[in-house]
Amino acid sequence: MSGRGRYLLGKAAWALIVVFVVISFNFFLFRVLPGDPAKAGARDPRLSPQSIIALTERFGLDKPVFVNLEDGASPFDSQYFAYLGALSRGDLGMSYAFRDEPVADLLGEALVNTIWLILPAQVLSILLGTMLGLVAAWRRGTALDVVSLTFSLFLWSLPTFFLAILLLVFGSSYLDLPTAGKTTIGAQYASFWEELFDIGRHLAMPTLAFTLVLLGEYMLIMRSSVLDVFSEDYILTAKAKGLSTFRIIRDHAVRNAMLPMVTLIALNLAFTVSGAIQVEQVFSWPGIGDLTVEAISQRDYPVLQGAFILIAVAVVIANFVADIVYGWLDPRVTHA
Amino acid sequence: MAEPVAVVRDVEVAFPGRRSLLDVVRLRPSPPIRAVDGVSFEVAAGQMLAIVGESGSGKTTTANLLLGLLPPSAGRVELDGRDIADLGRRDLARLRRSVQMIFQDPYESLNPRMRVADVVAEPLRVHRVLGSEAEVRDRVREALGEAGMTPVEAYLHRLPFELSGGQRQRVAIAAALALRPKLLVADEPVSMLDVSIRADILNLLRALADDHGIAVVMITHDLSTVAAYADRIAVMYLGRIVEQGDARSVLSDPQHPYTRALRSVVPVPDPAARRAPQVLTGEMPDPSRIPSGCRFHPRCPLAFDRCLVEDPALRRAGPDHAAACLLVEPPAEGDPGA
Amino acid sequence: MTAVVQATAPPTAPATTARRWRAALRRPMGLIGGGMLIIAVLTALAAPLLAPYDPYAPVRVSIQDIFQAPSGAHPLGTDDGGKDVLSSLIYGARVSLIVGFTAAAITTVVGGLIGIVAGYRGGRIGIGLMSITDFFLVIPEIALQIVIVAIAGQSLVNIILVIGLLGWATTARLVRSQTLSVRERKFVQRARAIGAGDAHILRRHVVPAVLPLMIANTVLVISLAILSESTLAFIGLGDPTVISWGQMLNFAFNRGAISAGAWWALIPPGLAIVWVVLGTTLLGTALEDALNPRLKRHHLEKDRSIAIPRSPAAPLARRAAGDPATVLAVRDLAIEFDSPSGPLRAVDGVSFDLRRGETLGLVGESGCGKTTTILGLLRLLPPGGRIVSGSVRYGDDDLLQLDPAEMREVRWSRLSLVFQGAMNALNPVRPVGDQVAEAIRVHERGIGRRGAARRAGEMLERVGIGRRRYGDYPHTYSGGMRQRAMIALALACRPDIVMADEPTTALDVMIQAQILELLAELGREMGMSVILVTHDLGVVAQTCDRVVVMYGGRVAEEADTARLFADPQHPYTQRLLASFPDLAHPGRRLQGIPGSPPRLDAMPSGCAFHPRCPFAFERCPAEVPPPFDLGDGRRASCFLVEQGAAARPSGPHLPEAPRG
Repeated sequence: MSGRGRYLLGKAAWALIVVFVVISFNFFLFRVLPGDPAKAGARDPRLSPQSIIALTERFGLDKPVFVNLEDGASPFDSQYFAYLGALSRGDLGMSYAFRDEPVADLLGEALVNTIWLILPAQVLSILLGTMLGLVAAWRRGTALDVVSLTFSLFLWSLPTFFLAILLLVFGSSYLDLPTAGKTTIGAQYASFWEELFDIGRHLAMPTLAFTLVLLGEYMLIMRSSVLDVFSEDYILTAKAKGLSTFRIIRDHAVRNAMLPMVTLIALNLAFTVSGAIQVEQVFSWPGIGDLTVEAISQRDYPVLQGAFILIAVAVVIANFVADIVYGWLDPRVTHA
Repeated sequence: MAEPVAVVRDVEVAFPGRRSLLDVVRLRPSPPIRAVDGVSFEVAAGQMLAIVGESGSGKTTTANLLLGLLPPSAGRVELDGRDIADLGRRDLARLRRSVQMIFQDPYESLNPRMRVADVVAEPLRVHRVLGSEAEVRDRVREALGEAGMTPVEAYLHRLPFELSGGQRQRVAIAAALALRPKLLVADEPVSMLDVSIRADILNLLRALADDHGIAVVMITHDLSTVAAYADRIAVMYLGRIVEQGDARSVLSDPQHPYTRALRSVVPVPDPAARRAPQVLTGEMPDPSRIPSGCRFHPRCPLAFDRCLVEDPALRRAGPDHAAACLLVEPPAEGDPGA
Repeated sequence: MTAVVQATAPPTAPATTARRWRAALRRPMGLIGGGMLIIAVLTALAAPLLAPYDPYAPVRVSIQDIFQAPSGAHPLGTDDGGKDVLSSLIYGARVSLIVGFTAAAITTVVGGLIGIVAGYRGGRIGIGLMSITDFFLVIPEIALQIVIVAIAGQSLVNIILVIGLLGWATTARLVRSQTLSVRERKFVQRARAIGAGDAHILRRHVVPAVLPLMIANTVLVISLAILSESTLAFIGLGDPTVISWGQMLNFAFNRGAISAGAWWALIPPGLAIVWVVLGTTLLGTALEDALNPRLKRHHLEKDRSIAIPRSPAAPLARRAAGDPATVLAVRDLAIEFDSPSGPLRAVDGVSFDLRRGETLGLVGESGCGKTTTILGLLRLLPPGGRIVSGSVRYGDDDLLQLDPAEMREVRWSRLSLVFQGAMNALNPVRPVGDQVAEAIRVHERGIGRRGAARRAGEMLERVGIGRRRYGDYPHTYSGGMRQRAMIALALACRPDIVMADEPTTALDVMIQAQILELLAELGREMGMSVILVTHDLGVVAQTCDRVVVMYGGRVAEEADTARLFADPQHPYTQRLLASFPDLAHPGRRLQGIPGSPPRLDAMPSGCAFHPRCPFAFERCPAEVPPPFDLGDGRRASCFLVEQGAAARPSGPHLPEAPRG
């Protein structure tokens, strides 16, 4: 098997293992840890009787927890395996707070909204961050560099929710932007574009908040990565060959400097989740984060559980994608 | 000849090789990498043995064997007459005191945070050989003096970064001498030092052998140094000794084609010297892919058909001179020596 | 090339950790960060004294008391519960700092232990621990925190434990990689060879090396812990019984501070968080920088390497006296480096000629300036280096007078350099063949991509690597092959002059012979002149036509090879030859030169060699001996030969000019 194939297989296998452990860990957390008994299943007064029966059936809530050791019963007839089975069917249970709505539906809708928020912001911040970092490194010591360094450090120290609050106040006071939700309540749209525009107005400040939060860190890391690359031997070789500085940067420095960035972006995905939760809360943006915080205050455990799995799995997948990108950029890791 | 300080007999060191996914699936063990594949030699007190070879020849692994840092996969290593495989941990630790090592890189082999006195005292403290701190201090001074770091007082409290490369190497030698070892293994002791200070360090090692009776095993790739300092030489190729014996006779009349080629390409600081360099093509193969028969045959200018199938053992080519080549004819009284 | 910088730059003084940290704290970033943190800690400690009210005391409030604007009674107004914001702010420091410090301590201890064990033991335990660590790195911390706190309850103790115990992964990773690299260092292996056990090695060598970085990292972890706590509090998972800044923001935001326009309830707590986080980040970054000082300079800095006044008339004058067989004429080259103790002379008035088709050896030990000289010829000095005087005549031009664009034309197409084939001399993420083709395309504009690739392939074929390996990456090449690749690269544009810097130093003897043979062949084939920089006198004897011996940044002796070895004039050359082993004369007793080559920041006065010279007399420390002409192209810079010199001191081929 080629080096590249082996590398990808290894990373895929790892991702699958992690997902499996997350799922099991989730089960363990909610059913086995001491605490509010309502978390463990269906004993919440908000559920309707029919739902309680259905849930008990689907999740085996009257069965033993891990393995069934009773005579004549299959060892897989337990809560744990019922849970795994339900998951494979996409069944995440019923929400306590939303009147028996399937958790999977709630999460699905919220996920789409969160992606609306995160994706443009990530792309923007990566592009801007790497460009700024490159320029700052090239012009190290100049006013531009010092200003962007200070700016980035300051952004890094701002809690995301605080930045979000500031932008919310700024946006509503000076730019007449909406302060909550995805769309204006009760609005009627003449066309698809009108609706899009309305969503866009609601999305502007949250996206800005998110972009700024990530921008500072990306810029700092790119800057130091570029500076490291600039002092490598092969840059001197390139200079000796007679290449102009611009060509050296374009053809030699950038790709090498991006490698630590890819690793950082991957590691940062967990941080992204935290940021999403905060931004959505402040702007009441109906995404996963907002749903999660709601679920906390409502003690809506099925939703919390489902959100946890969803978030963790999403991050694992994103990390896997980052591993693929890294393998493509750096031939040394895929060397057989 | 006195009782040898170290004896290595038919020693092998094999590392597990890399397994491809295919091997794992087929439950096949991977072919081991034989870093050292049947090596025998002896070192006597007061003698300097040079082990010569290129990178990958197994010379560093052999050095680690002598220090007891690595157990052989086969064969015997005897230090001071005792087989190290028989020893328990305690005895092994005690035996370690008689064998000390000097490393190649004087800039890296000293802890940058430790002062000279502590570096030299460390082996004494680790093995807890001396009773009081005063005795330790005296021994440290003595060792530094023996290593040529005088006036001793000036150096006791220095940190490594304040010393030159040659001075650091002397500190390393002093630390090695602190335990009064019987055997010193020096791994390329001067290759990272400036040319003009190498001779003095080598002279020091030679003096330690001559005046203190310490046995010295020097690992090196520099044949010129070997010719000037070593009593005996062992030339290694791909995990085997291909030629060994008295240094002068081996280097003045090498019998193995590899040694001959090696000797012919060594640049000599004499522009008038007549040279017929035999530059071999290619590089020494990876130890995971050892050629069949005589392992040198793919690069040997004198290889013939038998060389592809027969793996020659060391044959006597003279008094204290043996080479592992089918072309070597032992002299009349043929008694295959080592 | 980093070797060049190290060899020519003096060692930085503070090598002990304590001294480095003190230096770090003196720099602005550390000072500011430390100051900010101290203010926060003092505020927390002195809360009862500073706060005008006790925010924990129950108050009876009426509607008017809520969200009051700042006034005399309440300098920062009141919050949603009618309480004084300033007092809450001051007391809030306690919670944030307690959580921050305690959680960071837990993280450091747990992460540090796991990291050290994983890094030191390695093997299966190490892999197992790292897998668990990677798992925790992938799982979003906040998700875990939310879930666990929601289940286990919102008490301050729980929050501290959760933040502390869930944050160890990054620290473990960091500590592990640091431990691994320390474990591989030679002084640890030496300790093992001495016979030291794991306990001793850990205690004496590994932990002291890892601890400083751990501490610097802990400071940064504090900032993360404080951010975590305030985030949890903001989303409603804080301990409702204590006042923290996050909690204040939670209440303010969710209870209508925005619509009430009560900025005083929102801004101060946020800024307080920023204050503490920024302070710890600055401090932690300063400490980390101090421990891992990044090389401050890099290769792409603005080129300030020429400090010679322009004199357009000079080249012509010199050419008139020049010898047509000379392809390169170096006169009075002087190069300086910046250092904390002022400018240091690495090359001090070096002059020599390179004749067409000859191989010139540039010989010397570390610090003699040989590498700096050839880098100077190409104007590729490391940052901080500066050519302060001299001329380098090539054809009609003085290379030192060209502007940067013209110099770029000259580089590689006329003069090229064979670097040591270290792993990083070639870009590791681009195929080797492309890098050779790139050089061709830069200098032969019309050739196009395919043409350049073809030529590059031919070059690789010619040096014995083979066209097949065009697309391979440098890390797949063996050491010998990498050196061949550097040669292919240097010769790709068919330059007139090739300079080789210790091309065979790290290679085995047989491969060295192959490389030298290759260089000689190609040199003859392409009619190049070669400058070979080396410290190996054997190589010089076998390959060079003429030799320049350098010491202390100056030329000690210059002669053709045969005469240099047969009858060396300079005491340094004599002693150097006496210390070099000769395979053909093994019985000769070798003697080194006492002392060591001078460091740039400790250059002896007068003749640089006098402290080590057996023949030194009063004049030697007082004056710098100029090169004395001994006829037949021989020169030696020693007063002892002055008597034997044919004429008064002069440079090669120059009309007598007064020496400055």
